[in-house]
Amino acid sequence: MKNLLIKETRLSAHLLSYLFLAFSLMALIPGYPILVGAFFVCFGLFQTFQNGRETNDVLYSALLPIDKKDVVKARYIFVCLIQAAAFVLTAALTVLRMVFLGNAAPYVNNPMMNSNPVFLAWTLLIFTLFNVLFVGPFYKTAYKFAKPFIAFIAASLLSVFAAELFHHLPGLAFLNTSERLPVQFALLLFALVIYGSGTVLSCRAAQRNFERLDL
Amino acid sequence: MSAVLTVENLVKTYPGFRLGPVSFTVEAGSIMGFIGRNGAGKSTTLKSILNLVHPDGGSIRYFGQALSGNERAIKQRVGFAGGAVDYYPRKPIAEIIDVTRRFYENWDDGAWEKYAAAFSIDPRKTPRELSEGMKVKLNLTIALSHRAELLILDEPTSGLDPVSREELLEIFLALKEKGAAILFSTHITSDLDKCADHITYIKKGELVASESMEAFLSRHRKSGEGRDLEEIMLRYEKEDFREKFAD
Repeated sequence: MKNLLIKETRLSAHLLSYLFLAFSLMALIPGYPILVGAFFVCFGLFQTFQNGRETNDVLYSALLPIDKKDVVKARYIFVCLIQAAAFVLTAALTVLRMVFLGNAAPYVNNPMMNSNPVFLAWTLLIFTLFNVLFVGPFYKTAYKFAKPFIAFIAASLLSVFAAELFHHLPGLAFLNTSERLPVQFALLLFALVIYGSGTVLSCRAAQRNFERLDL
Repeated sequence: MSAVLTVENLVKTYPGFRLGPVSFTVEAGSIMGFIGRNGAGKSTTLKSILNLVHPDGGSIRYFGQALSGNERAIKQRVGFAGGAVDYYPRKPIAEIIDVTRRFYENWDDGAWEKYAAAFSIDPRKTPRELSEGMKVKLNLTIALSHRAELLILDEPTSGLDPVSREELLEIFLALKEKGAAILFSTHITSDLDKCADHITYIKKGELVASESMEAFLSRHRKSGEGRDLEEIMLRYEKEDFREKFAD
């Protein structure tokens, strides 16, 4: 697996998959639907899949002396590593914004989503959608990615809309503040469980599909 | 000689096309030409024996071991080159090699340097900067550097100029002398005249023959069906288009 990860990072990965980590900085922007930062991180990962198709990455990998299912597993691990890096960066900026910039006027009067544990939970949900709706279905063909990517775009934009809507609903204003943190952290933990289980189940289904695939 | 690859009753069905049953054996230190027209099923057969496509039936054994369940170990001993297919066309060859070598237990850096120098492969170049002939040589060099005992080559001479084809056939003969087995598909009969010991011929997915080149030629010469591979193939394959287009 170590060698496959080296292959993923040095041969398969598109540069934009790394550069688009910078969209995590959106967590600091006031008056903006900051959750789209997570969408852009996934868009950067999409470039690796597109690049792989253009460079015969799947065929190269399938011919190596490895188990075919490990080709899929390595790609999932690469995706998760990028998402983990984005999450850590976003979480660090969220702490910065909550602890040191909590009273800053642009954030206090922010009608859009603020950075807090609930925002991090939504970030994990966007990553889950990418893994479940795009990465998994991609391996049904290891070639066609338009439909899975459109499904991911639709679902993630609906999520951004929902995230911006919820904290305006009666009784849910705390979702956009630093209040009721235990509830917020419970939601974050719940999102982490959804991310982990969704990704693992998606990976297993993708491995089964890839094994059955005629390349 | 021992069998390095045994294919028995391989069958694969697609909508509108059925391959097989196909059976043949490749022996150590020999060259088998796998011949047929475009679309006859050569690539499907090669992909099936590499487990890139899943056959509907039949058995595939390498070095006496079934492919199923032993794929990792078998692929350590087998090299594949799909003609001029280029992987990672914009990556420097040196980087592709540095990653590829990690997967092979028997990778030999000395062999890589020797064959790369012999084929004039510049590791600083990218695959997209290579000619078609050089791409085939690069794929071959990678296979040789992990000391593959069996080389499976899908139309390696297609698209090559006559000089590059001649060079490649000489390389095949040199590798055979070193004990490697080669299975290569082609629709260019003159390639086989120069180097093949055995021939497997398929037509529209069906096996026509799999035997020694000598026996194949002798049989057809005796029956007056052609003096060389080209004549024999034309006799099998030629369709009467004047009749087809007649009113």
